[in-house]
Order: sequence, then C-alpha cells, then structure tokens
Amino acid sequence: MVMAFEGYGIDFAPLFSGKLVRQVGGVPYYSGGIFPTPIFYLDALRLGQFPKLLENTTLFAAVGIAVALAAGVIAAYALARPPIRGKGAISYLLLALRAVSPFAVVVPLYIVFTRNGLWDTYIGVGLAEDLVVLSIVVWMLRGFFTDIPKEIYEAAAVFGATEGQIFRRVALRMVIPGIVVTALFAWVLIWNDFAISDIMTGPATKSVAVGVWSGLGQLALRQVSFDDLNAGGFLAWMPAIAVMLAIRRYLAKGYSLGTASSKA
Amino acid sequence: MVIPESLGEALTTKTPRHTENYAYWYLALVPLFAVLALVEFYPLVDGIKLSLTGSSGGLSLSNYGQMLGDSAFWSAVGVSLVYTAGSTVMCVAIGLGLTFLVTQRVRGRSYFEAIYIFPLALSPIVAGVLWSPSSVWDDIQTFSHFILHQPYFNELAVGFYFPVMMLSEAWEWAPLIMLVALSIVNSQSSKVFEAAEVHGASAWQKFTMVALPGILRSPVMQFIIVLRMIDAMRAFEVPLAWANWVGYQQTVGTPVDTVSLFLYKLIFYPIYGFPIGLISAIAVSLLVVTLIVAFALIRLLGRALPISGGR
Repeated sequence: MVMAFEGYGIDFAPLFSGKLVRQVGGVPYYSGGIFPTPIFYLDALRLGQFPKLLENTTLFAAVGIAVALAAGVIAAYALARPPIRGKGAISYLLLALRAVSPFAVVVPLYIVFTRNGLWDTYIGVGLAEDLVVLSIVVWMLRGFFTDIPKEIYEAAAVFGATEGQIFRRVALRMVIPGIVVTALFAWVLIWNDFAISDIMTGPATKSVAVGVWSGLGQLALRQVSFDDLNAGGFLAWMPAIAVMLAIRRYLAKGYSLGTASSKA
Repeated sequence: MVIPESLGEALTTKTPRHTENYAYWYLALVPLFAVLALVEFYPLVDGIKLSLTGSSGGLSLSNYGQMLGDSAFWSAVGVSLVYTAGSTVMCVAIGLGLTFLVTQRVRGRSYFEAIYIFPLALSPIVAGVLWSPSSVWDDIQTFSHFILHQPYFNELAVGFYFPVMMLSEAWEWAPLIMLVALSIVNSQSSKVFEAAEVHGASAWQKFTMVALPGILRSPVMQFIIVLRMIDAMRAFEVPLAWANWVGYQQTVGTPVDTVSLFLYKLIFYPIYGFPIGLISAIAVSLLVVTLIVAFALIRLLGRALPISGGR
C-alpha cells in the first residue's frame, strides 16, 4: 500500500509535519505538499519501457517453463510411480540443487553462454532460469503424481493398460491442473528472479525486475527518484500478486517442494 | 503386462510391477539430466576447475589460500551467519503472528489471508526498495519528529539498518510460514480446540498451547524453516539494495556484504580486476557449505517427511 501511494507521488509526511517539511535521508527538506499524480506510472510505462520489459520477461519465462515442463513432467512421473532403483537419491539430488546458490554456477555459465552467443538471448536466459525453477517444477509435479490414488493406477492396469498408456491416458490427464499450477508458480519465480536475470540479460532481454532496479543505475542515493522506483516496483508487483492469488491454495505446496498438503 | 483372465485372478495376482522390468523408465530421466548437465553440472565442474587453477595455470590451492586470507571474505561470512539467524527467527515469529491473527477471524478470513500473502509475490529486490530510507523511514522520521516530538535517529547507522534488512527479508517470506502453519492448523482436530475452550482457554492460550506445538513439531514446517535458512544463507537482493542506500556500492567487507553480495561485487566491479580464481573458490566453498548443511538437516528431518514417498 505504501508503495502504491509513493508511486503516485503522494507523500504522507507533510500531512503530519504541518509545516510542509519532510525528511530526506535525515535532512529536513521543504515539500510542496500533496499532489497525487499518475505521472510516475506514465513514466514507468513510457520512459521505463515497461511494455518492452514485460515482453522480454514473458518470452524468456516461456522458454524456461517450456523446457522445465518438457524435461520435468515425465521425469517427475518416473520419480513418483514406477518402482525404479535410486529414485530417492535422484530426488534428493534435485533437492540439493535447489539449495545451490546461483552464484556458484553463474560465472562459468556466463562464460559458456557468451562464447556460444546465448548470452542476452531469450533461449539463453530461459535456460539459465531453469537453474531456479527446474528442481522445484520436478518436485512439485512429483507431488501431484503421488497424490493420485494408487487404486486408479491399479484399475488402469487391470483394464490392460500398458505402462505408457497409464502415463499418457491416466496420470497425465489427471495431473493437467497440477501442471498449470506448477507453470504459474514457476512463472512467479522467474518473474521475481533478480540474481540470474541481472547477469544473464543484457540490453536486448532485460527483465522487469532488472529494469525496475536499473532505472536507478549507479546513481548516488540522493539522486535516485524513489517515486519512479516505487511506481515501477508496484507495476511489477501487481501481476505476481494476481497469479499468486490464483494459485493460492497450492503456494504452500510449491514452496515446500510438494510436501505440504494443498488444503490451506 | 499380463492381462488377468478373470476378476478373481486380477484381485489375487500380486501387483504385477514386481515381476515387470521398469528399467526403461530411466529413459524418462534423460531430458531432465540433459538440461541439468547444461545449466548445472557443467558450470559446477567448470567452477571447481577454475577454483583449482593457479595464476601459473597449474593445479593449485592458491585461490583457496587467498580466500582464507581475505578479511573481507571472513567479514562476509560473519554477516551472512548473523543475517541468516536473525531473518529466519524474525520470519518464523512474524509468520506465526500472522497465523494467530488469521485464525482469530471468523468472517472474512480468506480475504485477510489473501492480503497477508501479498509480500510473497514481491521481487526481493523491490523489498529492498520498499523498505528503503526514502520510501518509508524518512516519512516515519517526519511523523515521529513533528507529531511525537522525538529526536531524529540516524537511518544510516548499522544498528538501525541491519535489523531493518533482516526484517525486510523476514517480512517478505513470513506469509509462507503462515500458509504452512494454516494448513497444519486446518488438519488439527477441532475437538481438541473445543475441549480447550470448555476448560476456559483464551484465544491466545488455545493458539500457543494447542495449535503451536503441533505446528512446530510438523516435519513440513521444519522443512520449510530449513529451506528458508538455506535461502537466507545466500541472501543477495535486499543487501544489494541496502548497499546502495548506505553508500557501499563498491566497497567490500562492509556490514551489508553477505557472501553472495561480496561475490556479486567481485564479479561486477572492474576495480577488483575480475579475480576469476578467487570468485570460483568462494562460490565452490559456498556451494559445499550449503550442501553439507542441506544434507545434514534433510537427513535429520528426512525420515519424518512425506518426501520419500512414491510407491
């Protein structure tokens, strides 16, 4: 809320001071008073090229999510149902990768990507974002597959379905809502990611989070337009809130890698 | 797959999967490992190689020696540890507080739940902006000075901004603790609460004495707290924002430098000459420590968690 008002250029401070004086970094300044204006939002949309940032983020998030789902859905099923050896170990390996700091991998990855022309491309950034989402996607989907009652698999087997058919015709269809939730969750994570997109995106693919932040550049504190920053931050926040509320029942499940129940 | 001839046979046949060869399901893991090899394993191996390459190009531990001798590194380790402990404790406290508030509501409970979730949707870097001096604290100062007649306090003193940093981090992730706690409370038997009510327990007592032990003992809750600690150990965005507010954009070894931010500065600012060996050594050490902590804690909790699931 604070952020929304700051973005409008509304400043509460003069209300209280009665002298139209406000503090900036501990120094009292004269303030012109309260003039609500959408100018900072218009600035963010026009000068801040918000639509372009939105397009960039959407495109590389789409690549990242598509790759994660393409590789993740069937892997999650293999880790959930068929009694294969070592699937516990593989699951734990994925969990451990979830704990790896992006900084442990991002420098070599950056070198590889610049060498192969993948840096600052939608495909390159999308792949790099899989660092953040891939293990979460697999764990979440695995949770959705294990939630399917065992009796359903057995019934399918009784009716003569092959393992491939059970996967395609039974499990996959039942888990489609889960796939949608997982994709949306991954989208929020990519949308909010800063560490990887700051390093992997350049001028051509700059993401929303990086764009909002770099609106500030390397300026000193007193020169920063906090109204602009807050307006941009608020615009970036809104879509993420909308998506989070849409998948609200599954948030606990997503963040706990599929271990919490989805009944929140 | 053998198709049972009759219903009777279908029921008596032991689940056929024990007799069948499931090895082909390993093929299903190939795409996953292909992606992982590209974005995780290769860079990790390359990073380890870089960290072990000395300035002469041969195999050497000199990068690790340089790291251990670097006071800025040790300062960053200290900052990270304090930051992790502080922000995790605050996060759990705020999250449980929110849980209490939500469970008190009879009507409109889901709206409050929804509003409390908002911080979770915020990009951490914006959390650093939202709680910055110019966004919030200057206004609070103005208010406290002119209305409450309090003296000014220094927003840029470490004793003030470091707790604020930890609090911003905690504030952002507290809703997650709330969500998990609520899912646990919802699964607790309502009869226990009714019994407590009959015995005259207040709302607060019901929460702390009946709901809370169940919440804290839940493996899922412990797992979430561990994940939060692991994430706090590599905290980066909020400290980066504050490095700008307090004027430590490029200096290292300052009170805002967590290990990740230290690495970021070494990578980004040319004044450090891009010491790739040192960067890799720190990154690998960070990786090893995180993995050890992660594995130790997961082992500790692993048995109780429903994650070993599958069938």
